[in-house]
Amino acid sequence: MIALSSKSQRARLAEPLPRSVWRLVDRGTLTSQRNARAFLITDEAATPDGFDLYLARDGLRLPRELANLIQLPAELNYLSGDDVLSIGDDGRRIRVLWRHTSRQNSILLTERCNHYCLMCSQPPKTGNDDPLLDDAFELIRLLPRDSEEIGFTGGEPTLYGEGLIDLLRLCRSLHPEAAVHVLSNGRRFSHSEFAESWAAVDNPNMMVGIPLYGTEPALHDYVVQAEGAFNETVQGILNLGRMRQRIELRVVLHKLTAPVLPEIAEFIARNIPFVDQVALMGLEMIGLARANIPKLWIDPSDYANELVEAVTILDRSRIHTMIYNHQLCLIPRSVWPYTVRSISDWKNEYHPECMTCSVKDDCGGFFFSAKYKVSDRIKAIPAETSAESNLLSLAQV
Amino acid sequence: MTERTVSFDRAAQSLDAVQRAVYRLSDRISCDIAETGETIEVTVHIPGEDKDSEAVLADLRNEVLDQVLRERIRTETEDVRKLVLAMAFSKTGLTGDDV
Amino acid sequence: MSKFREPVAFEAPTADWQLLPFRFERINGRVLLTNMVGEHLFVSGKDFEQVAEGPLPVDSSLVRRLRAKHMIRQESEPLPIELLALKARTRYRRLSEFTGLHIFVASLRCEHSCPYCQVSRQSSDKTLYDMSPETAALALDAAFRSPSANIKIEFQGGEPLLNFELIEDVVARAKSRNEEAGKNLSFVIATNLALLDERVLDFCDAHGIYISTSLDGPADLHNKNRPRPGRNSWELATEGIQRVRERLGIDRVSALMTTTRSSLDRVKEIIDCYVEQGLSSMFLRPLSPYGFAIKTKSFAAYDVDRWLPFYEEGLDYIIELNSKGVPMVEQYAAIILKKMFTNDDPGYVDLTSPSGIGIGAIVYNYDGDVYASDEGRMLAEMGDTTFRLGNLHEDTYEEILLSEALLQPLDQSFTASAPMCSDCAFEPYCGADPVYHHATSGDYLGRKPTSGFCKRNMAIFKLLLDRYEGDPSTRALFRTWAGH
Repeated sequence: MIALSSKSQRARLAEPLPRSVWRLVDRGTLTSQRNARAFLITDEAATPDGFDLYLARDGLRLPRELANLIQLPAELNYLSGDDVLSIGDDGRRIRVLWRHTSRQNSILLTERCNHYCLMCSQPPKTGNDDPLLDDAFELIRLLPRDSEEIGFTGGEPTLYGEGLIDLLRLCRSLHPEAAVHVLSNGRRFSHSEFAESWAAVDNPNMMVGIPLYGTEPALHDYVVQAEGAFNETVQGILNLGRMRQRIELRVVLHKLTAPVLPEIAEFIARNIPFVDQVALMGLEMIGLARANIPKLWIDPSDYANELVEAVTILDRSRIHTMIYNHQLCLIPRSVWPYTVRSISDWKNEYHPECMTCSVKDDCGGFFFSAKYKVSDRIKAIPAETSAESNLLSLAQV
Repeated sequence: MTERTVSFDRAAQSLDAVQRAVYRLSDRISCDIAETGETIEVTVHIPGEDKDSEAVLADLRNEVLDQVLRERIRTETEDVRKLVLAMAFSKTGLTGDDV
Repeated sequence: MSKFREPVAFEAPTADWQLLPFRFERINGRVLLTNMVGEHLFVSGKDFEQVAEGPLPVDSSLVRRLRAKHMIRQESEPLPIELLALKARTRYRRLSEFTGLHIFVASLRCEHSCPYCQVSRQSSDKTLYDMSPETAALALDAAFRSPSANIKIEFQGGEPLLNFELIEDVVARAKSRNEEAGKNLSFVIATNLALLDERVLDFCDAHGIYISTSLDGPADLHNKNRPRPGRNSWELATEGIQRVRERLGIDRVSALMTTTRSSLDRVKEIIDCYVEQGLSSMFLRPLSPYGFAIKTKSFAAYDVDRWLPFYEEGLDYIIELNSKGVPMVEQYAAIILKKMFTNDDPGYVDLTSPSGIGIGAIVYNYDGDVYASDEGRMLAEMGDTTFRLGNLHEDTYEEILLSEALLQPLDQSFTASAPMCSDCAFEPYCGADPVYHHATSGDYLGRKPTSGFCKRNMAIFKLLLDRYEGDPSTRALFRTWAGH
């Protein structure tokens, strides 16, 4: 589990830091650029001068002559050049905004939310956290031009309204080729002016990921703990569809949603078939999900039939379908071609049983949070059977 | 050919419902329908013997009940049906062919 | 951390459910419900009483299922109406495309002498029974008047290859016109393949032409249906199929069967024959009423009774073949399944309302007469010109497409306003067939309780739903067919 948030061991600053967002430079990425750059000290050789801030890895002697110097905790020793941090003005609080080597950066825009999902992995807070949005603007300005994927999450990012739209326009301007993905409950798009604003960003590489947990209000609203959610979300999806915007639907699979998964698939295929893709997601046992284990936990192998049926329905309607965060041994082989190895690398771990599994490299493994609850049917797949079924090319259910 | 008469209370079953039921069963029976003040009298002509007639009459009575239900559903949903079709064919409000 | 609220907090505000339009049929103790756009639901008899007579509770598994299929809503919710409207709009979208299939009868001449064929002529006089280039040019004018983005020109007959020069001429002219018109243009030749030669194959190869042929089943069955000098219709057909597949491409030839009384006991053999020929698609066609009907003025319903077991056995056998990895689609089922499970229109003119006559498909006869459908042409050959819309040499396009001969049957056969059809739960899957009903009962609408068309289709709908509900792998297969 990689730490993304921490506190410095020591901060020696001449005055409070003039900015919060810093792009790291190490010897490998050293150029003449100094603006918004902090130098990362990784050895005891002489440091290049001209930087407004220096960060030293844990375990190194701190050079005396540097005016603004922060010592990183051991858990942040993995940082390297082109990573981007947000640092409190006293040099203590450190948030890692962007890891250059990761393909799965997601930028937290707010922890505020108008939902309270039973399985929320990022429990909502109510305090004003506008600085997170400000940091995001700075981050987008500092990111290297070749950044491939930029993901925005929350809380509910659309709570910022036009602020979010401005950020997305900046993304399009500075990173026109990047794939931009925003997670949202979609409700704000039920106001067509907002859907139009979104569409006016005019970024063909932009997609919104919207959760759907039922075919009618009673179940969906209960799962997200908000009345009126289903109707507004679907209305929002329709408005986005009219504006030809790219949409991903996300269904988190647990005891409440898995039994009606085929019906959800039918609903999607019949009512909103224009969506670009559907992601069927395994449950992450962190945040609010832990408090709701009895309501939510179901062994994935117990919904195998529903999963196969739902994938079939979507696939035959030519809707691109993907299964995330499921261990391969728990789901039928016929749906393996739809799996994506997806657990963010800062979250994943493996079970002892996995050490002898022949498909371990194709399997996403577990969330680290699985230690709280995991299936007791995890079983290594023996090599003979996996050789016949080299199925990770597109094949039919 | 057997002839039997079934009586329907006009207050509970409309003439339309009875006619629709009779129409549905017209592959098996033919009927004369007469209205009196309070009832609809249906004289049913059933090919074959009298022993077959009970089953056919039971089907007729059940079909009339189903037609009464259909009539109620039709009436209740008539306005909404028009609304849906008006929306479906309107030029404004719904744009694009793929949505 | 705030408290989580229980499901009761998210139930509908009132039990005051508004019904949305739906229809029902009782099937084997359960009740089938279908909504305005053909989505279906099975409920128990008891549950149905709740739906039809109320009261429905504020929440229950039944309520959720009804809501999901847009059969009930809270009056305050606009979303279900909007979704129904969008789905309805998609279902009707193809109407505005207008005529997509244009059948050119290149020649009535034919060297076969099939007993059930009403149209062909044994003659070597080309001037009598062949379409002339002048007539073809007028027909092309009419075809390109259609607003449809897709224009399919199908050459039929008799045996159209007997007038191959005309086919070459029409294809060349159509492509030339299309440079400006920009349509999605496609061509099919419906032929018995007896006259297939290198010249024809070269031409089809050069112009991307598809071949449609007849294959009634095993040799003895096929040859009995289709006598020709040499008695080798089957051999020529099957060789022709292989030649086309190898020369033009595996999917460039399709086969249709004609079902006669001799076919009825042999459905598995017929299907096996298709499998042996490497074909992956077939159409278990019904018995044609036309010849019989004209002779006897009635079409006996018992023919449907005898045909239904043929279809059921054939469908089950095809399902079984698929489970063994043999790909085979039954086309009629696929057409219906597309209507059941998608909002798409399969564009099959013989099972749609409004009927596809004229407005979906149209026939230009060799002599310039225009017919509302191929069956309408057949009736004319037998003395009944009800479905003759006009003549290309005498009438304008408007006169032909706006003729009473076309508008009356379209209007009168419209199922949503037809007795029994308007109440029928299967209506979204079904269609109007004014030509059939005119031929068998004397009017465009027919009397559905005694209509062979109705009886046959109702039985097929029930059969398909039964098989769908029964087995997950059949469900997956049917979904695949629906998605084609």
